Amino acid sequence: MTLKRNRAFAVVGAASVLALAACSSPGGGGGDAQDVPGVTEDKIVIGTHQPLTGPAAAGFSSISAATSAYFDYINDNGGINGREIEFIVKDDGYNPANTQTVVRDLVLQEEVFAILGGLGTPTHSAVIDFLNENEVPDLFVSGGSPMWDQPEKYPWTFGYNSEYIAEAAILAHYAQTEMPDGTYCMFGQDDDFGDDFEKGALEILGADGLAASERYSVANQDVTAQISALKAANCDVVFLASINGFTALAVGTAAQLGFFPQWMATSAGGDYGTLEKDYLQENAPLLLENFISTFYLSLETNQDDPWIEHFQMVQDEYNGGGEIGGNDIFGMNMAYMFAEALAAAGDNPTRESIVEAIESGAVKGSGLVPLGYSPEDHTGNTGVQLSQVKSGVQAYFGAPYVYENGEVTEYTGGQVPFENGIPGSN
Amino acid sequence: MELERFLFLTVDGLARGAVLAVFALSLVLIWRAARIINFSQGAIAMAATYLAFVVTSATGNYWLGLVAALLGGAAIGFVVERGVMRYVSSVNPLNSVIAALGVLLVIQAIIGMLFGNGYHPMQVPFSQSPLPWLAGLSISAYDLFVFACVGFVVIGLAVLFGKTNVGLRMRAAAFSPELARLLGVRSNRMITLGWMLASALSALAALLVVPTELGLNPHSTDAVFVYAFTIAVVGGLDSAPGAVVGGLVVGVLLSWVSGYLGATLSPVAVLVLLLAVLLIKPGGIFSVTKERTA
Repeated sequence: MTLKRNRAFAVVGAASVLALAACSSPGGGGGDAQDVPGVTEDKIVIGTHQPLTGPAAAGFSSISAATSAYFDYINDNGGINGREIEFIVKDDGYNPANTQTVVRDLVLQEEVFAILGGLGTPTHSAVIDFLNENEVPDLFVSGGSPMWDQPEKYPWTFGYNSEYIAEAAILAHYAQTEMPDGTYCMFGQDDDFGDDFEKGALEILGADGLAASERYSVANQDVTAQISALKAANCDVVFLASINGFTALAVGTAAQLGFFPQWMATSAGGDYGTLEKDYLQENAPLLLENFISTFYLSLETNQDDPWIEHFQMVQDEYNGGGEIGGNDIFGMNMAYMFAEALAAAGDNPTRESIVEAIESGAVKGSGLVPLGYSPEDHTGNTGVQLSQVKSGVQAYFGAPYVYENGEVTEYTGGQVPFENGIPGSN
Repeated sequence: MELERFLFLTVDGLARGAVLAVFALSLVLIWRAARIINFSQGAIAMAATYLAFVVTSATGNYWLGLVAALLGGAAIGFVVERGVMRYVSSVNPLNSVIAALGVLLVIQAIIGMLFGNGYHPMQVPFSQSPLPWLAGLSISAYDLFVFACVGFVVIGLAVLFGKTNVGLRMRAAAFSPELARLLGVRSNRMITLGWMLASALSALAALLVVPTELGLNPHSTDAVFVYAFTIAVVGGLDSAPGAVVGGLVVGVLLSWVSGYLGATLSPVAVLVLLLAVLLIKPGGIFSVTKERTA
């Protein structure tokens, strides 16, 4: 405990030094006629909080790099309405105390126009009140909590991920269709993530639809007690409301115990590329064979997908190359959506006009399912499509589904077509 | 069914406790050799485990990695003691704690820069699946390997400190460096030797524990260190058997709490145990003499 506290002090200390340094340096936006924070004639400054170091950095630190790369691509092609986008990425180490420090710094010292894609439910919920009190657009929060979708309480906040409740309902619907006589269980995180997921699953399966529901704590990497309880309950299907690291722990521990259920994971902990590269490596193809997961954007395994070709081009030219993965697509799509919102916010964007632009439906993204944005609804992606791993290749199957008013329905509208990587230009 | 679950959780806890006990032993060792609670022990062990990982990846041989971790751990312990800790004033015990925390941050930062923040799965020499002839229990061949390592380390330490001249000199140098020096013990060398041994031992512990968790990461020994620290205090910082029994007790406690009350509560349970021991028997359950300070 002392150890953690002392480290927290050290980080806060370092952050204050940075804040002082920022005070003494010139600039910091402003200075033009219309006096919108972070907006000048030829530039717009936005910021984000991300886990670049610490236990959550694995699997997540590549997201903001991809977002930055996409902005570099846009800037090299003239920016949006003549303005370049400057994206300030601050490290919060996935620690809510640090999130408060860095977001205050971004808003009060750096005077950013908006916060884009703040990552994590525990971290971002620590700053959502601050951002809304200060009327800072809080766009496309990375996390599946329903908290972001409360337009009356948080008019400046918009979600991005599909909500955990929706993902759970769609997975449960699939399990019920394909394995009607199965024993369903879940393994989830001991916070809103697990609770919301369970709510969504029970909505479809009925109040006694889960034979066993076990929870893990991020602070405790020994999950043998939980997995052995699931094994004892003879589960055929185990839903995973887990982040990538604990998905890896669950499948690894289960294999050691000789337990091989059908896994069904959320998009937050089911990206094959991340699970393989950051955790399981050469064991991944065997442990994850038949693993079912969800996502709402293009997968890198899609054939002839112009979005993938486009994002891969940006990856090669601006993000150090290499094959694009789920986190890169997630980060680039976010940058693209911000650019769409900015393009629609007019030649002289204000914090009000960008929120109006998003609520008007101007932002489409590149997803497989529609975005929920309207004046009454700040949900991001409204559903998911299911994917399955076969011989180390994760690919989509079936149709995308949306979840609305307690019902799972197939979405037949098709993916947003690719027209141009830079919104507003022709 | 209930009994089976109870046995499963207990045995699983013992296996985990054994690994934690090795780490706690390294804290006991450095306490006995230098009268310091080394908060950088986890980071030193983690860095040595990266060395093992590199060697094992390059050669495909687990045992070469093990040797590299032991030697590397000793070398890092040497550098930290000769390079930093020796120059820390011993007037206030807090000074060495702060310096050790500084070492921890530096090592974690360097490893993060060199290897990134991803997790690297570690190879193990024996299967981690439960042995079939112990049906229902969760003892794997790897657990038996860990038990053997713990036994070897406990006996080794008992012999070192109880039967050898070097051990006696180390104890003397730690207990009263000035007096020991007057009597012909090269106290500084003994303290350095204590650091090297303790660091090598913690490297062994990290090498044993990392494969049972998510994998190797700059932070993979953080929680283990907190548990091991608790165990060392519970068992009495001066007592090697105390660390082993404390390790097994804490391991079983973690497993029971996780299995019956929920995973969320197990880290809390360990801290409650630490608090209880500090309030009721501050010297640790196995302390025989009044706690000494340097």
